[in-house]
Amino acid sequence: MQTIQHETNVENARMLIEKINEKCFEKCIPKPGSSLSSGESLCLTNCMQKYMAAWNTVSAAYITRIKSDPAL
Amino acid sequence: MDSQAASSMSDFSDKDRKELQQFIENEQQKSKFQTNVHNLTDMCWSKCMTSKITGTAIDKGENSCLENCVNRFIDSQKTIVKQLDHMGGRA
Repeated sequence: MQTIQHETNVENARMLIEKINEKCFEKCIPKPGSSLSSGESLCLTNCMQKYMAAWNTVSAAYITRIKSDPAL
Repeated sequence: MDSQAASSMSDFSDKDRKELQQFIENEQQKSKFQTNVHNLTDMCWSKCMTSKITGTAIDKGENSCLENCVNRFIDSQKTIVKQLDHMGGRA
């Protein structure tokens, strides 16, 4: 049972990392140069935190909606 | 589940089997919920986070945009399903 639970958590984390990478690369590195600039690195760090905050906001809004809408 | 694991299911008592089934259902539901949140966050991030990233916090406008985005997406989904229902198609 712990293995299944572990798998669910790993899959969730894997998905989150994949999305963060996709969204933050798009946002922070519009024109890839020969190396990551310090500005780009900082943007990535901020973007990562912000994406996780957005995930939590969306999750909370979704839960509220599911609870208030019995048809869902 | 492979056949060996399936056959060993019969070794469990009814109570254990029910408990296991409940556990798996819960995990599946949790996984489905998380997948939905990932997809919603992906879509709503694109729609709501249009300005340059300057910090780690979500501002008030972005926050309400995200909340609206989730609710309107579900509204859209319900509207489309209803329309399909009217068309006599199976949604």
